[in-house]
Amino acid sequence: METVSRKTITVDVNGEQYEREVDVRRLLIHFIRDDLDLTGSHIGCDTGNCGACSVLVDGVLVKSCMMLAVQAEGAKIETVEGLAAEGELNDLQQAFSDHHALQCGYCTPGMLMSATALLRENKTPSEDEIRKSIQGNICRCTGYVNIVEAIQAVSR
Amino acid sequence: MLLREVEYARPASVQEALRLLGANEGARALAGGQTLINVMKARAASPDVLIDLADIGELRGIELGADGTLELGAMTTYTDIINSAEARARPILGEVCNQIADVQVRNRGTIGGNVCSNDPTNHLPPLLVAIGATMTIVGQDGERSVPAAEFFLGVYMTAAGPGELLTKISVPPGKSDGFASVPIGKEGTCIVNVAASLNGGAGARLAIGCVDAVPVLLTPDSTEGDAVRKAVREANLDPPWDVHASADYRRHLAEVLALRAVAQAAGRK
Amino acid sequence: MTETTVTPERALVVEEGDVKPGFIGQSVPRKEDKRLVQGEGVFFDDVKRHEMGYVHFVRSPYAHARIKSVDVSKAHELDGVYGTLTGDEVAILTDPFFELSTAPGANIKDYALAVGRVRHVGDPVAAVVARTRELARDAAELVEVEYEPLPHVLDGEESLKDEVVLHEEAGSNTVWSGVFDWGDFDAALADADHVVRIERLHFDRFSSTPLECSGCLVEYNRGTAQWTIHGNHQMPGVGAIWMAPALRVGIDKLRFVSQDIGGGFGNKITLHPQYTACCLLARKLNRPVQWTEWRTDQHTANTHGNERTFLDVTVPVKADGTMLGFSVRAIDDCGAFPRYEPLGCIIWAQVTPGCYRWRNIRVDFTQVCTNKSPVAPNRGYSRMQHLWLTERIVDIVAGELGLDPIEVRKKNYVKHEEFPYETPNGCIYDSGDYARCLDIALDLIGYDSLEEKRRDAESRGKLLGIGIGSTLDSGTNNFGQSMILNPELQFSGNNEVATVKLDIFGEVVVTLGTVPQGQGHETTASQVVADILGCTPDQVNVRAGHDTYWNSTAGFSGTYASQFAVTGLGAVKGATEKLAGEMKQLAAAVFGCSPDDIELVESQARIKGNPEAALPFMALGAILNANNAGLPPELDVTLNVRHVYRPPFEKPDLERKYGNLTLTYATQIHACALEIDPETGVYEIVDYAAVDDCGNRIHPQIVEGQVHGATAQALGAATHEIFTYDEEGNLLTPNFYDYHVPHALDMPPLKTGFIESESPFTPLGAKGMGEGGGAGIHAVCAALQNALGRRGEGPIVWRSCNPYEGVWDLVQKPEQTRKLVSVESR
Repeated sequence: METVSRKTITVDVNGEQYEREVDVRRLLIHFIRDDLDLTGSHIGCDTGNCGACSVLVDGVLVKSCMMLAVQAEGAKIETVEGLAAEGELNDLQQAFSDHHALQCGYCTPGMLMSATALLRENKTPSEDEIRKSIQGNICRCTGYVNIVEAIQAVSR
Repeated sequence: MLLREVEYARPASVQEALRLLGANEGARALAGGQTLINVMKARAASPDVLIDLADIGELRGIELGADGTLELGAMTTYTDIINSAEARARPILGEVCNQIADVQVRNRGTIGGNVCSNDPTNHLPPLLVAIGATMTIVGQDGERSVPAAEFFLGVYMTAAGPGELLTKISVPPGKSDGFASVPIGKEGTCIVNVAASLNGGAGARLAIGCVDAVPVLLTPDSTEGDAVRKAVREANLDPPWDVHASADYRRHLAEVLALRAVAQAAGRK
Repeated sequence: MTETTVTPERALVVEEGDVKPGFIGQSVPRKEDKRLVQGEGVFFDDVKRHEMGYVHFVRSPYAHARIKSVDVSKAHELDGVYGTLTGDEVAILTDPFFELSTAPGANIKDYALAVGRVRHVGDPVAAVVARTRELARDAAELVEVEYEPLPHVLDGEESLKDEVVLHEEAGSNTVWSGVFDWGDFDAALADADHVVRIERLHFDRFSSTPLECSGCLVEYNRGTAQWTIHGNHQMPGVGAIWMAPALRVGIDKLRFVSQDIGGGFGNKITLHPQYTACCLLARKLNRPVQWTEWRTDQHTANTHGNERTFLDVTVPVKADGTMLGFSVRAIDDCGAFPRYEPLGCIIWAQVTPGCYRWRNIRVDFTQVCTNKSPVAPNRGYSRMQHLWLTERIVDIVAGELGLDPIEVRKKNYVKHEEFPYETPNGCIYDSGDYARCLDIALDLIGYDSLEEKRRDAESRGKLLGIGIGSTLDSGTNNFGQSMILNPELQFSGNNEVATVKLDIFGEVVVTLGTVPQGQGHETTASQVVADILGCTPDQVNVRAGHDTYWNSTAGFSGTYASQFAVTGLGAVKGATEKLAGEMKQLAAAVFGCSPDDIELVESQARIKGNPEAALPFMALGAILNANNAGLPPELDVTLNVRHVYRPPFEKPDLERKYGNLTLTYATQIHACALEIDPETGVYEIVDYAAVDDCGNRIHPQIVEGQVHGATAQALGAATHEIFTYDEEGNLLTPNFYDYHVPHALDMPPLKTGFIESESPFTPLGAKGMGEGGGAGIHAVCAALQNALGRRGEGPIVWRSCNPYEGVWDLVQKPEQTRKLVSVESR
């Protein structure tokens, strides 16, 4: 086995296949945003603390700024763009809007992916469990109050 | 921010990983990446080669032996430990893993990465020292076991040297454990943490984190408050100063948290 | 974690009693949401241009140094590098940015890149542009800069001595200095029964750190010499005023475009240096260039909130607890470059006596430069620091004299009957009921069971404290206050623009001059328009974002200073009312009746009492635009109305530093209960209530969201968020790892309440709100003091940020802070 500095990778993102050649050093978030033009996932920090880049990789919630694109070779990635079916908001997205769980919307894609991961595993989370599930997502606008409320609304 | 140029390989076996590590002087093993990728983004360290351990099945899995010993593959994630029925043989493991950062980090971060990076503020080094875990290291010369208390050598330095891999961590059974910390914000980075374990005798094993390059192991011969306090004071801790705490404050917290960790452990006898 | 109540069960009284008709006052669905929850928002970094280059700034590792040489040759050798920019080029191609201060501050030379000297760690020295982000980063490492380090100064008081001077052209670190003296403080002092003296208080450096970093993508059109800046500048009106003269072009050559912005909080107002560098690069390299700020750069080299030291606070008090005023010496540390400063030196005067009826106030105010990050109007700008002072004064005085801080507040608060209330320096507090808000906050937090809570905490080894934070969010500035600082400045009043039109197919289209970063402007504007035109918000199309090409902007356009509900919506209301008038005139011309006979209802113009005679909007739009033969020649309508809202301001009296500086004053009264672990200094907020009064609430849910957000930011600033520097001038909290902001688990149970004291001065009776005045900081400090203080003994909470070790110090060494306070009783 040899080492390489560039690699061709194939990923499935929201049900669509993509094949691209990338530098090994390219972060998954930059690959998603710049190479695949899926700009719904965002970048808010340098140190893996803010969670704006959160996506699901093979069903697992990760911060895509702490993964290399090549580590996602062959994976099934889900981003915010895959939540609404043909422009129809899903229940979680609608709840976010109904409960004013977003102001500037920058943390929102990451929050939605974290909430999606939570609700797949636990359909009736307690308030503490909800807060713990979004602990890795920083919001500077809402104080999290309405975000928690929106997730609670969907989980009743 | 952004990594320097780097080479990459994803071997399927420990042997192949060791070969690649040996063949490339600037090579580092890549586990969950929750530390290493950030370090590389900041360009604080820039290995020439990353050996991604993700495909190596031998490094995964949690096994519970007949004698109650837990064997955790080095690539076991914090989430794996939290969700593992077997890991409940040593409940403190899951409890402490559940305090680390957030769910995204827990899904990718590994027990092996946590101990091999040996950041002084990490949770697992003091915990594993206190509960008397054993590390299995594999290198070109074969396999060897190193007790946790001898595994941590310096800041970001462990007994797993260049060209070697930590493959598993063995944890003896036990329930009389405690862990106390003061983190920055809920479930944030630790300012000081202390792990305590009662070994069945009258005394305790105490490992203090965040106060030195490696966890500071103390073995007071009694769990009485005075004995614990004495042990901590006689350790003559010389903690670092940083923006979160002065040396004095860390020294003080070490004492308070040692008492609390021991009390917690004693409460679970 | 106990439950989080969003609004209390009992209906809290709305001043006016009735439910308001129409959409104003309702929490209609937000227009912005549909795109944002699908990840279809357009933030500047989402915009791409063919063959664009990515910018990385080379930044100073020194707090203060001479630049001996900058060598970019090795960077140019790297394959994929498109070009560079250095300070030498900038000094030739541009003029220094306009300074707001008088001399010596006026003489500061501030450029897009460091020229000759670097003045803080992170100061940009050169820029590299490359094909990819990674290559730009690589190339930046190849730029060789030779520095000659100089002594540096990191403390405001130290800087006053001018032993280390940052700007040689200015010759002094003092940016601005002046004394404000209203009433008769000496007489008040003579009249006092007690004089409480506080040697020092310190408001710490922090910022609201919006999640989206600053940035832009700049294109240069060579044919028209026009730049288009896709960015997130939140006050482009002022950005252009800085950039155009520097670039030696007319203002119309700078087009600012933004759609969605990930939070601003005042930290995206002084982006002109980086934007100017990007403009030069776009022109020089003949390609679009894109710059995205790194989180580390935002913390080290964008902006912080003002850091302020209050010295020699002197408070004359009567025996019954009435305070007569105060005097203070304030030193404001604005970092390496003033930029928007020295406006902070006067903005606090909007709230000179805080919430209180104090008539005798003397403030000796000096602003200095230090080798730290420059400051900008961070959320609560300058008023927050001053209001924190007034609240510390109230709590410390109450504590030292053995008075109940609740009673002392009520005794000293401006009373409900006294509004509109003129402060000692001529500001008019429009309306409010502080005592009532306080009662609501106390009720929400279960104040009656305080003693029981204290005993319960003690049984668990904890110390309970309850504290109040009263604060004001003054909104809609009179920029004439800048003339008090510098009479030569030609800024006064304020304005905002809106354009509302009826298209050919009857579609209502609104263009705002504001630059929203999450405040829901599209939605609230549509509510106002819908009520006036008699349609629904869904039928009102508000263009998303901001674009100076839409010709709907003026000199003060942007979103800042808690003013949208007044200025932005004032402009919308004015434009829509004019449009409505034109629609009625047109319908009247068609029907052959008087415009007074026409009403706009259900998206139609129709004759009152004769619903059959109706013209739908589509007909009106079509008639004027495409089918207008036969209309009376004197009918002068365009159905495309641009309106500039101008708040009613006078130029202030510069001699007395007197006049109305702000149009509206929203109230925030917060109550905080916390428990301290005295063994460790760790504390937890166990209960929290935020009561807000911003007049008529256009969209209650949006208002409440702002209250939540402002509270969270204030709690962060009170507990962990602080920009601390080491001795070399390195920022020790340059990222979210060390700079801990509140995460979901950090938030206390948060209860909110409201009243609505309509403003008599604004088009909609609404007041600007959003900044929040830092009430959380005031409340936490008060609660810590309450938990630890004992009359005449006990520590004094003297800093705005109190991390765990700080609290432990207060517990361990009360004598150290105790000596900051003395009481002279006569």
